Amino acid sequence: MLSIRNLHARVSDKPILKGINLEIGTGEIHAIMGPNGSGKSTLSSVLAGRDDYEVTDGEVIYMGQNLLDLEPEERAWAGVFLSFQYPVEIPGVKNIYLLKAAVNAIREHSGLPELRAGEFLKLVREKLKVMQIDESFLHRNVNEGFSGGEKKRNEILQMQLLEPTLALLDETDSGLDVDALRVVGEGINQMRSPERSVLLITHYQRLLDIVKPDFVHVLAHGEIKLSGDHTLAEKLEREGYEGIEAA
Amino acid sequence: MSGFSEWLARIKDVRAPEALAVGLPNKRIESWKYVPIRGLARTTWQPASPQITEQFALTGGQFVNVPTVNGCAVSENTLTASEQKRLDRMSQAHGFGLTQAALENTRLVLTIQKTASVVLNLHHLANQASSAGFATLVLRVEAGGQLTLVEQFESTDIESANLSSLRCLVALSRDSSVTHVRFQAANAAAHVFSNLDVECSENATYRLQTIEFGSKLARNDVHIALVGREASASVNGLAITSGTQYHDTHLAIDHVVGETNSEMTFRNMVDGKGEATFNGRVLICKDSQRSATEQSVANLLLSDSARVNPKPELEIYADDVTASHGCTVGSLNKTELFYLKSRGLSEADARAFLQYAFAEKIVEEIEHRDIRELVETQLLGELKHGELIAELKESIDV
Repeated sequence: MLSIRNLHARVSDKPILKGINLEIGTGEIHAIMGPNGSGKSTLSSVLAGRDDYEVTDGEVIYMGQNLLDLEPEERAWAGVFLSFQYPVEIPGVKNIYLLKAAVNAIREHSGLPELRAGEFLKLVREKLKVMQIDESFLHRNVNEGFSGGEKKRNEILQMQLLEPTLALLDETDSGLDVDALRVVGEGINQMRSPERSVLLITHYQRLLDIVKPDFVHVLAHGEIKLSGDHTLAEKLEREGYEGIEAA
Repeated sequence: MSGFSEWLARIKDVRAPEALAVGLPNKRIESWKYVPIRGLARTTWQPASPQITEQFALTGGQFVNVPTVNGCAVSENTLTASEQKRLDRMSQAHGFGLTQAALENTRLVLTIQKTASVVLNLHHLANQASSAGFATLVLRVEAGGQLTLVEQFESTDIESANLSSLRCLVALSRDSSVTHVRFQAANAAAHVFSNLDVECSENATYRLQTIEFGSKLARNDVHIALVGREASASVNGLAITSGTQYHDTHLAIDHVVGETNSEMTFRNMVDGKGEATFNGRVLICKDSQRSATEQSVANLLLSDSARVNPKPELEIYADDVTASHGCTVGSLNKTELFYLKSRGLSEADARAFLQYAFAEKIVEEIEHRDIRELVETQLLGELKHGELIAELKESIDV
C-alpha cells in the first residue's frame, strides 16, 4: 500500500530524514519507535503533506500514486489520515462543524452522497460511545480547552469517522493516563481491517501492548536502524535505544 | 472651491463659519494621519432628508419614530453643564468635531428612568446620494437603570457617496448598566462617523460590542471615563475591511478613580486593498489605585496589499494596578490550515473556517441572540467561501 524509498527531508537547512526505506503492506500495522529528535514526527508530517519540510530526495508511492505530488487535502481524499501529536486548537469553530465538513468532504471525493444532519448525528453518536466521549464535546470549539487526553480522543474519533485507508498516528499515546490509553488503544484496534494500514509512531511500548503491531522499526538519526516483530518493542523497553543509536 | 468646502460655504447661514474655518481634518493631525478623506472632500454634499420607515431610525440626520416605552422618556433638548462640557470637549478634541457640531441637524435626549429596563433598537438608514446628516443622541441612565441599545446600519443599494454622523453621549448613574451593540453594515459608498462619549458612575457597567463590515470609510471614536468606584467598562470589537475600505477605531478608556475595571478586545481582519487603524489607549490616573485593565488587539492580514495600523497604548500613573496588553499582527496560521486540510477541507474552505473562527471569537460574545444571528449570517456572506460554514450552521444549529 505504501512504499517509501530513500526518503530524504530537511527543515530549513537541517537534514532530518536521511534515506528512509519502508514498505507497508495492506492491512499491516507498523510501529516506528525511536529516541527524541530521530525524525519520527517529521516522517509522519512529510507523509501527510506539511509544507514546513522540504523533500530533497526519494519517493513515496501510495496505492500506485506519487504521494508527494498531492496537496494535504488530496492525500486526505485519497484515504491518508494523520493523527497529530499536538492537535490544533481552533477557537471559534465548533468541533461538530469540522467533523461534519471533514466527513462530507471525504465522502464527496469518494463518490458517496453527503450525509444529512440526522444520518451524521447518528454516526457520530455511535463513535462518541466507542471513544467514551460526552456529546457536549461536539459543541465545544475544536480542541479549545481540551485536556491532553481529550485532544487525543478527538483525533481518534476523527479517524473513526473518516475511515482512512492509511492512518498515521503520531504519538497518539503521549500525555494519556492509563484509562485514556486503553480507550484510545481500543479505538485503534477497532479500526483494524484487512483493507487498512496503520503507521504508529511512539516512544513507548505501552500502546503496543494494546495495539499489537505486525512490524516494529527503530528510527535513529533519520534512518531506520533496525526492524523486527513486536518482540523488538519489548527489547527496546528493557534495553533502551543506546545500543542502536551507536550502531 | 469645491466639494465639502463648497457645501459648507453654501450653508454658512447656519452655524458654519466655525466649521468652514476648520473644514475637514487633514493628515497633519496625528489621529487622522491614515484617514483617506479625499473622497469626502471632493463630494459636493447636500443636506439629507429622512427616509420613510416605521422603525426607530436615524435617517437624513433626523430621529424618527422615537419609541414610547415604559421607563424611557424623551427629555428636553437642554443639556446639563456637564453634558455641554463633554460635547464641547468632543468638538475640540476631534478633528471633525467642530464641523459635526456646526452641521448638527438634530438632537435627541432620552432618559432611562430609575431601575427601569429598556431595549432600544436604533436603525441607521442610508441617506439619498450625496447627502449628509449630522445628529446627536444623549442618553441619561438613572440609578439602577438598564439599557440595551442596538444600533444597526442597514445596507442599501445606494452607490454614490453619503455621510452619516452620530455623536452620542451616555451618562450612567450609579448601579446602572448599558449594553451597547453597534452593527455597521452600511452600503459601500457610505462614510460613517461615530463619536461616543461615555461616563460611568459608581458601580455602573458599560459594555460595547461593535462590529463593522460596511461603508467606504468608517471612523469611530470612543471615549469612556470611569468616574465612580467599582465602575467597569468592556469593549469588544471586530472590523472586517476589504476592497478599498477604510475602518478606523480610536478607543480611549480613562480610569479617573480607583477600583475600576476595563477590558478592551479588538480584532481587525483586512483583505484586498483594505486598511484598518486601531488606536486603543487606557489611562490610569495617579490616584486610581487597585484598578485593573486588560487589552488585547489581534490583526489578521489576508492579502499582500492589506494594511493595518494598530497602536495599543497604556498610560499608568498609579502604582497599585493590574494591567495587561497584547497586540498581534499576522496572516492565517499555517499549522491550523494544515490541520484542516489534512482532514479533507479544501484550501478555500480551510481559509474560510479560520477567518470565521477569528471573527466569531468577538461575535459569539453578543448576548442579544437575534443580533448575534444576524451578524453571523452577514459575516458568512462577507467571507469568501463562507457557504460551507453557513450550510453547517443551518444543518446543525437548530
